[in-house]
Amino acid sequence: MSVSTASTARAPVPEPAGAIADPIAFQLFRHAITGIANEMALTIFRTAYSGVLKNIMDYSTAICDREGRLAAQGLSLPGHLCSIPVALKASIAAMKDPIEEGDILVMNDPYSGGMHLPDIFTFKPVFVEGEIVAWACAVCHHTDVGGRVAGSNASDSTEIYQEGIRIPPLKLHRRGVVNETFMAMMRSNVRMPERFDGDLRGQIAACRIAEQGIQALALSRGREAFVGLVEGLLDYSEILTREAIKRLPDGEVTFTDYIDDDGIDVGQPIKLVCSIRKSGERLVVDWTGTAPQVKGAINNTFSYTAAASYTAVKTVLADGAPNNDGVFRAVEVIAPPGTIANAVMPAACAARGLTGFRMADCAFGAMAKLAPGQVFACGDGGNTNVSIGGWTAERKPYIFVDFFSAAWGARPWADGHEGNTTMFANMASYSTETVEGENGIVITVNEFADDSAGAGKFRGGAAMRRDYMLTEDEAVLSVRADRQSHRPYGLEGGHDGAAGISLMNGRPLSSKFTMSMRKGDVLSHTLPSGGGYGDPLDRDPAAVAEDWLDDFVSTATARDIYGVILTAQGTVDTAATEARRAELRKEAK
Amino acid sequence: MTPVLKQARFAIDIGGTFTDFILEDGAGDLHTFKTLTTHDDYTVAIGEGIDRLLARTGITAGEIGQVLHATTLGSNTLLERSGAKTGLITTTGFRDVLEIRDLRMPRLYDQTWEKPEPLVRRRYRRVVEGRILADGTEMTPLNEADVRAAVEMLRAEGVTSVAVCLINAHANPAHEIRVAEILREIWPEVHLSLSHVLLPEEGEYPRTSTTVINAYVQPVIKDYVARLLAMMEGRGIAAPLFFMQSNGGLTPARIAAEQPIHIIESGPAAGVVGASIIGSQTGSPTVITLDIGGTTAKAALVENGTPGKATEFQVGGHVLQVERLLSGGGFTLRVPAIDLAEVGAGGGSIIALDAAGVPQVGPRSAGSNPGPACYGRGGTELTVTDCNLTLGYLNESSIAGGEMVLSRDAAVKVATEQLADPIGLPVEEAVHGVFTLSCVTMIQAIRAVTTERGQDPRDFAVFAFGGNGPLFAAGIAQTLGCPKVIVPPAPGVFSALGLLCAEVEIHKSRSFRAIVGPDSVAQAQAMLAEMAALAEAEAAQPGGRVSVTARMRYAGQSSDLQVSLGDPARLDPDAVRAAFVAEHDRVFKFTAPDDEPVRFTAIEVAYAIPVGRLDLSRRRLPTEGQASTQRAWFGSHGWLDAPVIPRTALDRATGPCIITDPDATTLVPPGATALRTPLGGIEITLPQPAKGPALRHVEPA
Repeated sequence: MSVSTASTARAPVPEPAGAIADPIAFQLFRHAITGIANEMALTIFRTAYSGVLKNIMDYSTAICDREGRLAAQGLSLPGHLCSIPVALKASIAAMKDPIEEGDILVMNDPYSGGMHLPDIFTFKPVFVEGEIVAWACAVCHHTDVGGRVAGSNASDSTEIYQEGIRIPPLKLHRRGVVNETFMAMMRSNVRMPERFDGDLRGQIAACRIAEQGIQALALSRGREAFVGLVEGLLDYSEILTREAIKRLPDGEVTFTDYIDDDGIDVGQPIKLVCSIRKSGERLVVDWTGTAPQVKGAINNTFSYTAAASYTAVKTVLADGAPNNDGVFRAVEVIAPPGTIANAVMPAACAARGLTGFRMADCAFGAMAKLAPGQVFACGDGGNTNVSIGGWTAERKPYIFVDFFSAAWGARPWADGHEGNTTMFANMASYSTETVEGENGIVITVNEFADDSAGAGKFRGGAAMRRDYMLTEDEAVLSVRADRQSHRPYGLEGGHDGAAGISLMNGRPLSSKFTMSMRKGDVLSHTLPSGGGYGDPLDRDPAAVAEDWLDDFVSTATARDIYGVILTAQGTVDTAATEARRAELRKEAK
Repeated sequence: MTPVLKQARFAIDIGGTFTDFILEDGAGDLHTFKTLTTHDDYTVAIGEGIDRLLARTGITAGEIGQVLHATTLGSNTLLERSGAKTGLITTTGFRDVLEIRDLRMPRLYDQTWEKPEPLVRRRYRRVVEGRILADGTEMTPLNEADVRAAVEMLRAEGVTSVAVCLINAHANPAHEIRVAEILREIWPEVHLSLSHVLLPEEGEYPRTSTTVINAYVQPVIKDYVARLLAMMEGRGIAAPLFFMQSNGGLTPARIAAEQPIHIIESGPAAGVVGASIIGSQTGSPTVITLDIGGTTAKAALVENGTPGKATEFQVGGHVLQVERLLSGGGFTLRVPAIDLAEVGAGGGSIIALDAAGVPQVGPRSAGSNPGPACYGRGGTELTVTDCNLTLGYLNESSIAGGEMVLSRDAAVKVATEQLADPIGLPVEEAVHGVFTLSCVTMIQAIRAVTTERGQDPRDFAVFAFGGNGPLFAAGIAQTLGCPKVIVPPAPGVFSALGLLCAEVEIHKSRSFRAIVGPDSVAQAQAMLAEMAALAEAEAAQPGGRVSVTARMRYAGQSSDLQVSLGDPARLDPDAVRAAFVAEHDRVFKFTAPDDEPVRFTAIEVAYAIPVGRLDLSRRRLPTEGQASTQRAWFGSHGWLDAPVIPRTALDRATGPCIITDPDATTLVPPGATALRTPLGGIEITLPQPAKGPALRHVEPA
């Protein structure tokens, strides 16, 4: 696949995979190779230096086949679903010298198949009997890769050149010998060289561990048989995916949603259009109609758009198919070049995470139209990024990078979760006490906002609020948030979730900004809440009463939105509730 | 030197189905008994077992010197949500720490996933103004009116147990202490759990969760301990009662009642302790323990007689995640525990084909009711046990000492219909595939405690117990490349045996955030001495063994390693650094440059006192079962006549053979040799290919 490709499908459409030949031998092999990919993920988890990797788990590991197709993925972020094969194939194509045993390739350039500059990829070819049989791959979000803002993650850069150092596909190791020129160059350009070293070391250790495991596995099965079994992995995922697609209704649907703005053209909404065409055992996700790429740093490269699309499709299919190229063969993703869904040079893309989340929401919305009753309403829209960095009184650099998201939309059969990561990023949050112990920051609030959930027969998750007070003299603050003017959608009569909001010492701010912060300043950020599902007047009054006792619903919301009249003790006044609901239904007509 | 007790000791292990007893008499002879667990009131079964064993042996109640106990009461209380109505008092702005957890979920791409219901509902989580910072200084004074209002609300609502966890209380507990004073003053009868007492460590979620779990189960355990003591007293038993803790040490009943967080995973820990002691006594101090029952397989690592430890685990969810990167399936409990990994695969696990026609083992289980198809109790789905019966590894009287007759015909029928025909293999080949697949599935638990911890499983013997452990052990060991399998005596009541091996052990830990250097090491030494004195006072018994550990990391890292610090009297900065560097290199295979500082995050003390000594050579084995032969399928070897040998009749045998106990079946594959050791264990030596580099992911094709 070339990097400018607008679609994951090859031409012509491949023949559907046949049946798995020896299911038991296949299953034994699958356990073994998945074990290796998971062990890679664990190696990074345990050896990582930075909190971004350790606590937020913003990294992925994978094993690709000899052609660079994704074969097995370790536990990892859904957002990295498609990035590894795209980046690997581009890197292989870019090598001028032959690839030899002991080599490790490295890259981060979004315009050579990467995602955004902090995500550094490493690829190690695995040789058996003198031939490449597979690739061990890891991608980690590094804390800082230089550029104009600490954390290399600002949403208000306007060109890739402002965002940090670009690494085209290079050899990090040549026949086992590290490229010290490259390392010296990197150390001089990143703000925290020890952390960069430590995290890169963990990434390389993971690739080495996988190399040993894959070699042993290939030798135990025989080289040619190994290659065949890897092919089986792809067939297996393709079969499971196609079987699940068959169960969805045929049809074509389109869902439109908006990003608030790009932080540069403030107040200018950015349109996202997701069309899904489904017939038989094929499904196409098409982003044609989506806005052109923007000045702000929220442009997606194609692989990230594909990841958002697959996350929605996989979640709704619930087929248990392991993530690999077989899934990609059954589901085609189309994104026209030059759009925010598939940006071209020199678009800035450091904060593209936001667009990925919004596109996942949009793809879920389209799936909900295709398969009503099988898909949840919109969650809080994915994570907010807060970066606070500067220099201490002793001239030591500090960077605090926080990501959090917490509310699910209501499900057709149950309330949405609060205090739980959204589907597109299974990220963990930091401990307040650890943050305060390591940074000049006091977290003064970290809890749910009362009376905030999107109403419905099933309600969305409550919004989460987190406040940060600076105790260092000064810092640069950058915030990347959204859904402050375009609220999370409800479904089937469920209300939209509440909008998010950022306040500096009580003054409202826009959704994306960079500003300075002084000692004692408090940034208060409240995420959006999840959208509701179904008419709030159909909600079980007892559930409203329970929510009232827990401050998830106020007396006024119970009365005016849910039509539930509660006594002072919080029990339902049934007769008054019936009357109130009749009144509200009448008003609605 | 351990004193040999002259008195008799009772070991009692409550499991989900059976309550197991071992009575060790004054001469050291062991007497066993098993009865069905009485779930409504555990003490009924316990009373029955005590009466039966005393009657059988002629030992009097007055001769009982100790009662040692493992119970699932704590974990069941959490699973069934049957604990106390609990309230939480916490800092303003942090009402939802318990529900936010670390935000992560254990499943991806699953809209149907449900979060575990918090143990304290939001309405009973009350906030009080007042703020301590990370360095222990006070930012905002405690608002005592808030405290009184919270207390009045909780009392009015009928709450009976209260947890208090304020932000940064580990750094300065002054506010928490004041809240406790007010609580005791105006509500003296409430059960109280304080975070700075239970877990004086950084991290508000693990500390809150741990404190809340304590508050939630404490009234239940207190009541249970009181009833148990009354029942014992009624029978004239005046002996001290000890509980097994999750960390493998015993704790006096009065401490268990106050701090029940330490006895939540009590039963599984007892088995691992037994393996560590018996393994050491029989020349295998380094083993992987493998405990396989009807629904799960559990593994732990024992190195040089010491079980691997974890600093926290998840409780109250379903089967523990092996893939531990994804937390959130249960509640975090941060107490020292034996590092156990569990997968949902056992004898009752159901074999199903997915949409691509590929078989999966578990995690659904037929349990014991209806159970596998061969039980003839209405089970219609193919299970692992049906496959083992089809293969001839079990026979029709293998279960429950022959009291229940299994139907091989029923097993073969479901195996043919549900597996062999759909995948197009002869039935014996198909079910043998399931046997191998089961081994590979269960191996995930072993991987979690070996390769994920930087260990090579080939360096360990497999120590197998539980009803299904001895059947799978050789297959699993061969798959992993382990040289040897040990099946201890009484594999079916092994956790009770483990209780007789354990020592009393009290743990203390504290956060300690400092770069390793002369000053910090001196400070650590002083704190450790203080903590050791506290532990000794709690044990109420001087003369114990003190060991100290620290959680440490390179300054730039964000996760810890637990490092043994050796003799606490002789700590010096160089040695502390060297101990960390050596452990880091062993686990992660790399060492940072010499100028990279090393940092403490927490320090820990364990205080241990032996309470008795088990002499396995004195165990009397029942002489049951008859020698016979059985047709069994061994993969590429095909159908073979395998001798069936009761353990008591075993001296030395060559595989294939099947060794039987009243409660377990040990499979010895072709080419392996089995030997009965002087202490009554079975030792199986497996034929091995030469040990090559990194074969750890390979199983025999």
